[in-house]
Amino acid sequence: MKNKTIILSAFVLLAASIPAGAHAMLDHADPRVGNTVKSSPSAVTLWFTQKLEPAFSSAQVTNASGAVVSTGASVSGTVMRVGVRSLPPGTYRVHWKVLSVDTHTTEGNFTFRVGQ
Amino acid sequence: MLTRLARAVLFGPALAFVPLGAGAHEIVGNRFFPATLVADDPGINDELSLPTASLFKNSDIPSVNELDIAVEFSKRITDDFALIVQPTWTHLYVPGGPLGNGASGFQNLETTAKYRLYKNPEHEFVVSVGLVAEWANTGAKSLSVDTFTTYTPTLYFGKGFGDLPDAVWWARPFAVTGVFGYAIPSRSRTITTTVDPDSGDVSVDDSPNPRFFNWGGSLQYSMPYMKTAVNDFGLPDFFNHLIPIVEASLQTPVSNFAGLDLKTTGTINPGVLWVGDYFQVGVEAIVPVNRQSGTSVGVIAQLHLYLDDLFPTTIGKPIFGGPVTPAKPF
Repeated sequence: MKNKTIILSAFVLLAASIPAGAHAMLDHADPRVGNTVKSSPSAVTLWFTQKLEPAFSSAQVTNASGAVVSTGASVSGTVMRVGVRSLPPGTYRVHWKVLSVDTHTTEGNFTFRVGQ
Repeated sequence: MLTRLARAVLFGPALAFVPLGAGAHEIVGNRFFPATLVADDPGINDELSLPTASLFKNSDIPSVNELDIAVEFSKRITDDFALIVQPTWTHLYVPGGPLGNGASGFQNLETTAKYRLYKNPEHEFVVSVGLVAEWANTGAKSLSVDTFTTYTPTLYFGKGFGDLPDAVWWARPFAVTGVFGYAIPSRSRTITTTVDPDSGDVSVDDSPNPRFFNWGGSLQYSMPYMKTAVNDFGLPDFFNHLIPIVEASLQTPVSNFAGLDLKTTGTINPGVLWVGDYFQVGVEAIVPVNRQSGTSVGVIAQLHLYLDDLFPTTIGKPIFGGPVTPAKPF
């Protein structure tokens, strides 16, 4: 029993001491996922759970007909900012695909609405 | 394990165990499939369940309290192929065991080789195949472990419902997983010879080793999915990590059980998981589907570590294969 306790304790200490780097998952966004904003935002901002590799992380925003309405993305740490043109009322979809600094790839998408 | 369950039904004093799933988390597009506790899921990853513990009244006659503590270590050989080892220690409380004074020991060792066949991020769909083996005579004799090996070719799938139309947006966090296996004993019969210590009489028991169809799965509702892909309601962070889940794990005798009164057995397991960046915890009830599966509601709980996230550059990556494919910028 004592040996088991020592082994378990060692593992927990090891896990706590090593800098981990999990998958970069979307934490939250502005505009908020699935929510409605009164007027066009100047950008969509995505917060992730891990630091991103800027060269391999990007996102784009499309309108209801699938046309791209974003102007480019920039990454700083765990935050990605996607510029958008002036958006008329409607539903927009954000597609993101990112690479965390430990080389895990993740992707996803969500919608938000403007002025509806 | 499953054949042992059938023997418990047949002979009463034998033992039965709740199957513990060999689960691993899986990310498919928007969807995060958590590791499940009871029904094997399609996930292939580097993971460690330490431990999975269950306490329930088993199907023995009379039914006794049983404690199972399992450790599951899953190691990717390549990005799509993993080997899984799962030792399980069991304690039978009095009046369990061959002498009625309880028993403890390891069950037969279970291993799984699992390969991911197909993954569709757009439709959150994944399919894997595997071979589960429960190795003969690797467990404690006091637990009456099987003296034959059982091989179970198995098909796994997972499907998220993020592609449902807007009209049913509330259903998008739903996902299902399924598992279908065919358990084949390495011997068709087990012949046991017993000598009465008093009279010296020899008795021979010849019993068939039935083949079983193992089936089950899970229905899950992902609050992380709700927040990050459907609608962020601004709930407290704790709730955004929860996945309510109902699992089912059942076994149906298929062949080589002529003359035996075997029925479908198994459990239904409602519960909840909390998933974080590096680990998940889960707790579920164990509800037997009939008397042959147990006699009262038990409980199962698990701490599950994501080794691929805890140790991404060492033990948490595949042994073979290059770096993970970089994302393609739009």
